[in-house]
Amino acid sequence: MPNERLVDIFALMARYERQGVKEGSLALAAAALTNATGAGIALSPDETLLTNFGTSNDTATKLLELEMTLREGPYCDACAGEAAEEVDLLDTSSSKWMLYTPGAIDLGARAVFSFPVRIGSIRLGALGLYCEKPSELTYDQSSDAFLMASVIARAILAMQSGSSGEVLSEELEREATFDFTIHQAAGMLSVQARNDVGEALELMRTHAYATSTPISELAARIIARETGFDSKSGTWYDEGDIAI
Amino acid sequence: MTRESLVVSTLVELADNLVDNFDVIDVLTLLCDRCVQAVDMDAAGVMLESPGGDLQYIASSSDSMRVLELFQIQTDEGPCIDSVRDGKAIVNRELRDSSDRWPRFSPKAMELGFQSVHCLPMRLRGRSIGALNLFRADVGYLDDDDVVVVQALADVATIAILQHRSAIDASTLNGQLSQALNSRIIIEQAKGIIAESLKCDMDAAFARLRAHARNNNLGLTDVARSVVAGTLRSQALDAPRPPRTK
Repeated sequence: MPNERLVDIFALMARYERQGVKEGSLALAAAALTNATGAGIALSPDETLLTNFGTSNDTATKLLELEMTLREGPYCDACAGEAAEEVDLLDTSSSKWMLYTPGAIDLGARAVFSFPVRIGSIRLGALGLYCEKPSELTYDQSSDAFLMASVIARAILAMQSGSSGEVLSEELEREATFDFTIHQAAGMLSVQARNDVGEALELMRTHAYATSTPISELAARIIARETGFDSKSGTWYDEGDIAI
Repeated sequence: MTRESLVVSTLVELADNLVDNFDVIDVLTLLCDRCVQAVDMDAAGVMLESPGGDLQYIASSSDSMRVLELFQIQTDEGPCIDSVRDGKAIVNRELRDSSDRWPRFSPKAMELGFQSVHCLPMRLRGRSIGALNLFRADVGYLDDDDVVVVQALADVATIAILQHRSAIDASTLNGQLSQALNSRIIIEQAKGIIAESLKCDMDAAFARLRAHARNNNLGLTDVARSVVAGTLRSQALDAPRPPRTK
């Protein structure tokens, strides 16, 4: 059975390539293969930072960003090596994540799953799936997801292998939807708040959570100088009420 | 053995090889054998472009195939040559109708007992690095599914070659990937710091970072790291200059 599915994965990837899908084809294949509503892939160069490698739809992007803000949830667990699943987020009796769960429900997810993306003991990141209805993964769906995660791991390394050490390969940059604006904004904020970029990132996370703003949106507003931090008063300021 | 399991065992065998040192010729010969079985061909061969741009014979499933591959290289004519140059697949080409396209190659291939030919490019970063040739002794037909299967094999072989060429293992690669991601993050953070300190946009901040790195013969990441660490002030960065003309 996994054998046939591996062929399906390659066939799906070949189809997206023929259709000219430029980004996120691996996430699209993962969603299609497992019948999930959406899928996303996170890279985790170290345990504390998640980077969006690609997602199959908007909600999947927001769910991944939610974890960048909160630093808890299924991607975080899988990046640390543990596959995670919540078959119904509204079932509070089993709730693993205090902050993530209500946020994910607000974004329209009811079930979430994650799988480590790794080769042997080498951990690269995580594959995440979500469903808009309460769902359990069948044994086959779950094997498919593990298989897909292993294809993703090999694909990522193969793409990077063409590059010399210090830079991301062009191929990876093309395939991935990397968003580094969060780090640009953290840099700006660290000057405003007179702290280091790590602290600035924490400040952003807290503010994004407190104002229920996706962290990428907050980053965009910081970069556009629409919002910022005043170190004298220790508060955030907003230049007018900008409709989003 | 079903076709799927042939393909898959090939993929798995190749994938296993990806993390260890392996003999690229062995892998490609295996690929040729498996193609012959998977889509019912009589012979298969692989040619790769050398860094200088010449095509090289690499592997084949049979001796007559080897002869044909070498013949294509010598005469600079044939399906493999075309496929590598255009990066396009050639499928279901009957040799008896191909004497216009390949006046020397077609009769030679028929003389060796083949009737039809297929050729799939092996692509890497949008450009072809070689091609997989498939020959049949009768006039056969490859359908779309067959083509997907064979292209998947060709793609995996490409990955295998890539891995071989760079000769690095998964853990080294992962280390490099982390390093590449982290240095990218540091550069973006530094851009933000410079943009805020000098009240400029991100492009101008990056230009400043790059100018300073170039002028002082430093790596971009190293300069960015100093900016982020606070040991190099944004105001102290060299401003970009227009390119010098000789």
